[in-house]
Amino acid sequence: MSGLVDETPRNARLLPRFLLFGLAVLLVVGTLTARLFYLQVATGGYYQGQATANMTVLQPIPSARGLITDRAGRPLVLNVPSFSVKIRPADLPYSQRPTVVARLAQLLGISTTQINETIDGNPGSNFDLVRIASDVPENVARLISEEHLDLPGVQVVTEARRDYTYGPLLSQILGYTGPISADQLRQLQSQGYLPDDMIGQTGVEAQYEQQLRGTYGVQEVERDASGRQIQVLSTVTQPQAGDSLQLSIDVKTQEQAQTALQWGIQAAGIKKGVVIVMNPQTGEVLAMVSLPTYDDNLFARGISNADYQALVGNPNQPLLNHAIGEIYPPGSTWKLVTGSAVLADHKLGPDQTLQTYGHLVLDGQRFNDWNGVGFGPLTVAGAYAQSSDTFFYQAAALAGIDRLAWYAHQFGFGSPTGIDLPGEAAGIVPSNAWKMQTFGQPIYPGETYLAGIGQGYDAVTPIELLDAYCALANGGKLYQPQIVRQVLSPTGQVVQAFAPKLRAQVDVPSWVLAYIREAAREAVVIRHTGNVVDMPLYVAGKTGTAEYGTVKIGGNLPFDSWFVGFVSPSGDFAKTDSQLAILAFTYDTSNSIGNPSTEIVKYFLQMHYGIKQDYRNLFLIRPGAGN
Amino acid sequence: MGAIRLQQDRLKWASQTAAAAWSAFDVQLVIYASLLAGMGLVMAYTNSYESGVSPLSAGSTFTRGLIWTALAMVVFLVAAAFDYRWLKTFAWPLYFVNIGLLVLSLAIGTGVGGTSRWVTILGMQFQFSELAKVLMAVVLANWLSSRESRMSGLLTIVGAGVLVAPPLVLVAMQPDLGTSLVFAAMVVGTLFVSGASLRWLVVLSAGAVASIPFVWTYLLRDYQKQRLISFLDPAADPQGSGYHVIQSMIAVGSGRVFGTGLTNGTQNSLNFLPVQSTDFVFAILAEELGFVGAIVVFLLFAALIWRVLLVAWHSDDVFGLAFAAAMASMLLFQVLVNVGMTIGIMPVTGIPLPFITHGGASLISIALGLGVLESINLRQVRPKW
Repeated sequence: MSGLVDETPRNARLLPRFLLFGLAVLLVVGTLTARLFYLQVATGGYYQGQATANMTVLQPIPSARGLITDRAGRPLVLNVPSFSVKIRPADLPYSQRPTVVARLAQLLGISTTQINETIDGNPGSNFDLVRIASDVPENVARLISEEHLDLPGVQVVTEARRDYTYGPLLSQILGYTGPISADQLRQLQSQGYLPDDMIGQTGVEAQYEQQLRGTYGVQEVERDASGRQIQVLSTVTQPQAGDSLQLSIDVKTQEQAQTALQWGIQAAGIKKGVVIVMNPQTGEVLAMVSLPTYDDNLFARGISNADYQALVGNPNQPLLNHAIGEIYPPGSTWKLVTGSAVLADHKLGPDQTLQTYGHLVLDGQRFNDWNGVGFGPLTVAGAYAQSSDTFFYQAAALAGIDRLAWYAHQFGFGSPTGIDLPGEAAGIVPSNAWKMQTFGQPIYPGETYLAGIGQGYDAVTPIELLDAYCALANGGKLYQPQIVRQVLSPTGQVVQAFAPKLRAQVDVPSWVLAYIREAAREAVVIRHTGNVVDMPLYVAGKTGTAEYGTVKIGGNLPFDSWFVGFVSPSGDFAKTDSQLAILAFTYDTSNSIGNPSTEIVKYFLQMHYGIKQDYRNLFLIRPGAGN
Repeated sequence: MGAIRLQQDRLKWASQTAAAAWSAFDVQLVIYASLLAGMGLVMAYTNSYESGVSPLSAGSTFTRGLIWTALAMVVFLVAAAFDYRWLKTFAWPLYFVNIGLLVLSLAIGTGVGGTSRWVTILGMQFQFSELAKVLMAVVLANWLSSRESRMSGLLTIVGAGVLVAPPLVLVAMQPDLGTSLVFAAMVVGTLFVSGASLRWLVVLSAGAVASIPFVWTYLLRDYQKQRLISFLDPAADPQGSGYHVIQSMIAVGSGRVFGTGLTNGTQNSLNFLPVQSTDFVFAILAEELGFVGAIVVFLLFAALIWRVLLVAWHSDDVFGLAFAAAMASMLLFQVLVNVGMTIGIMPVTGIPLPFITHGGASLISIALGLGVLESINLRQVRPKW
């Protein structure tokens, strides 16, 4: 090449500019190189680490939740695959969030507000998955998967959903699983619960959460920028499936109980009722129905707000298991306690009688007998069978309120039975100490009268009452009612075998219990319980009708009705070999004819024992009674 | 100007042998450009591979790259054979064609996120703003050659500004702030190298800088402001527009000295980088080929720009000088802004990296420009060559 001096004068004049331009080139290349050197060489390790962190993430592997069967092995819940839509907020750029949320809202049919609230209400960190929707239809799930490039941070996750085979039949018992709440997460995070986890929220699902859940595993996963899983790199720990539960509930018995109760409350024109069937020899609960009920599948699928509000707003509280969760006055069924007290404390002998009246007057107040005229002189047995109120007012006064309370506690009243279900309430057993503590006053004599017949302050849960009668039937063993019979490992090994759990031995002489059993049979035989005696079964039982609440128009208190009893295989009530005890409770039966609970029990026994003849009184609403 | 009639020195040149013609041909320029284009194809291959597409399948980034490269070679050869002096005749028609194409882009163009940068022709997307750069260089060169005797006058600069304003505004309206900045850089660079008044250049540049607040308030769109803000502090919005810069820096940084190897870039294959095959392709290159690979690319660009500047230096006429200066300015500015963006020292703009960014329009336009440069080179008086 020729020297620059040979070039034209014009170009020579421009030489400094060419050199300056060349300098600019060198400057640009030098700056870029220096910066590159800094990023790649000087701090290269840092960014490499960042890239690796970008790429791999430790992910929990959910364990298969344990299954639940009834006592005969019928499956009550299945794990079915379902699609959930989740968001990892850290992977969703702020600038794109409005579009992504709007698109999701459109696809999922939920409001953008709801999605935004879910994302912002996420109790975990920005890197935790947030559940947006559960049980998403397959076509929607596929659409969302296909649009993943336009929906950064959004993931479609296949997970197992609980499918409750019998739905409303067992909802009160099984409960359901639902998304973990912020409070639950705070308590359980240390045990490996995740912000988007499902957890047993009520019923057996909640009570046995620990056994059912199993242990989550951990895997190392390679993921892309939108958070999608590319491949599993390694499994750090394997998940362990949860244990299975075998309930003591028998689905057939449960269906019979539900059918009987449904018929009964419909025939009586009422809304609420309970039937519980137990084995008095073991404390196993064979059936437990509380109406109205709900479908736990609604919750397992992710309940809509409208459905949830309808359930919560229902005055008859379908979400509440009335068998264990609410207390009611026990009425005459309580005479078990008063009768046992006077006999065991030798206030009255077995053959000793008291005069009964149409009513008693105490401090100027009338205490009526239910038939208005009295029954003449009665023994404890006779009075129990006839359910004479004036007899038991006097008996209560003889025993005294504190001894009554002591015997009530012997039969397990006043404290939860310890049944393996959440939300059990405790009844009330009035005593001087209790009243001082609660109202700052001692018990008045009139209150002792009422405490003798299951009125006034007396209150029980249906399960407490049935458990007391089970103790009566089995000779004084107060068992803890059990819903779950056995816990089984995923491979079927028995982890926890069934064993009756004795709460206490009722400290009442066995002759007294035998005497009351005979009296309960007498109540049936003398047709105090109507035609139950005509059934080809040996039933002993006690009815109860108790007033509660506030006075209705017309001056009467509303009342509810009870039947509690047991079946003797031999008809010999001196024996303690009953295999079946039953309680029926109907709420607000003021407009009913007779005792709807007795009719329900009859219907149940007919179905349960395959009795062809129908002993029911089919018309239970008082003619002309308005609701 | 009677371009068809050969001048005396042209006759002399025409009588040279084929070997002599070859000696006037700037082989180095072609070699550096070819190596860079080859690098672009390599990146197209690795990107196709990592996006899960067979690189050889029809429609993959790589096959499309091959087709565009072949076309670019044809364009280059045609442009080199074509006497560049004809361009002076066509400068004004070209200018209006250019403006027409940009208006067309605005009218029927499509793009990501509501922009209108791409026009689809025969099933292939084409970005006319790329071609507009080269056409603008022709118009600029023509203008400056007409100002040869009054180069240092203020009118030289004002005229260049008036010429470039319509296409610049049209491109900014697409909106493609990056490309309009390339226009501005080309004007300034060309005026500087061609000998325009330095004093006026400084005064007018200062005026342009002073008008930034006005531009910021009234002309920039929100997302453009957002990008500029996130350039200043990428960590302020890690999931917003700064996210791309951070991911890009992670990609570059994790390449270290020798890179992760082609097709092994994790940031790319896992989609951490947006639009890998276009704006951020240098980040992938730096991740997979490392510091060493990136330096090779820098050196190739520096060498290419050197050869372009030599064309300007050797050019007998102002047209050749100005055109080469425009091309050199364009290359330098695009390298600075694109690479700077991927390593966090420049804002995120849609400016392609010449040769490396996959895009037919960019490659064809550069081939056209280089072809014209070669044509300029071939048609100079070189007594000793």
